[in-house]
Amino acid sequence: MPSPPDSAAIRNSLIGHLLADSQLAGLMPDGVYSDVARAGKKQYVIVSLVDSVDQPTYEGRAIESGLYLVKAVALNNAAAAEAAAARIDQLIEDQFWTIAPGLDLMAAYRVAPIGALELDAVDPDLRWTHRGGRYRLDVAVTSPPPLGRTRGTDHLERAAS
Amino acid sequence: MIKTGRYGTVSWDPTGTPPVPPATAPLIISLNKWKASFKTDKLDVTCFGDVNRVYIPGMKDVSGNVSGYWNSAEIALFEAADAEAPGFLALAPNSTEPDFNWSGPAYMDADIDCSVDGAPAVSGTFMAAGPWTFAHTP
Repeated sequence: MPSPPDSAAIRNSLIGHLLADSQLAGLMPDGVYSDVARAGKKQYVIVSLVDSVDQPTYEGRAIESGLYLVKAVALNNAAAAEAAAARIDQLIEDQFWTIAPGLDLMAAYRVAPIGALELDAVDPDLRWTHRGGRYRLDVAVTSPPPLGRTRGTDHLERAAS
Repeated sequence: MIKTGRYGTVSWDPTGTPPVPPATAPLIISLNKWKASFKTDKLDVTCFGDVNRVYIPGMKDVSGNVSGYWNSAEIALFEAADAEAPGFLALAPNSTEPDFNWSGPAYMDADIDCSVDGAPAVSGTFMAAGPWTFAHTP
């Protein structure tokens, strides 16, 4: 039975989509990271998979629906975080980008905005501003052809060959 | 043997020609549920003196439904709904046991449910248009 495409491609494509934007790069010069930024970074974007559900059909996985946390994080620069969050929304909401062969983006939209202010545990003058949103990405699994079947006995012929 | 429903199949031949075996009919793709009912009408023949109602079997009915996702590459369900002549429908609980299936001529109706927060869902109902058979290995 053929395996569906690697789901990691969805998050990687989202990160790549954000990284490719020069305006966002200007606001968040330290880059876009999956889950955790590297040490010492002060203005960056975080992408995390919060929740995901696969929707099957008889032919196999049909839809991957993932909820992603996408947020700008800035040290002592709330304005940059706000502006970056707005740019992130422009880049994701109702936009389409290429993910990978066999994975087609059906819809991308924000489920809820998020915002938080985090005070440094050691130095309260250090303020981390978090701004962004939780975004739903619905992705259709288009290849390999689900189970590769067109008839109810096709898999038996493959097994015999 | 108990098998998963994950590999169920819904096969449909719009010409109504029974393929041999039935599971070799073209699949309707992007479905994830089917349900069939084979209920027989029961006729009430209760008489004076009976201590409870008494029934005798009448005619068996064959009907059911299928459902899944809208897939623009596959419109067989909606073509079936438009067809005036019945097609041939075959339902198998698990494709690894294609010799176990129910099949027969059927009329099909179709529905589509398009919501803002998900993939459009399709469903169809069927009813027998001729004799149905239950194929199974003894």
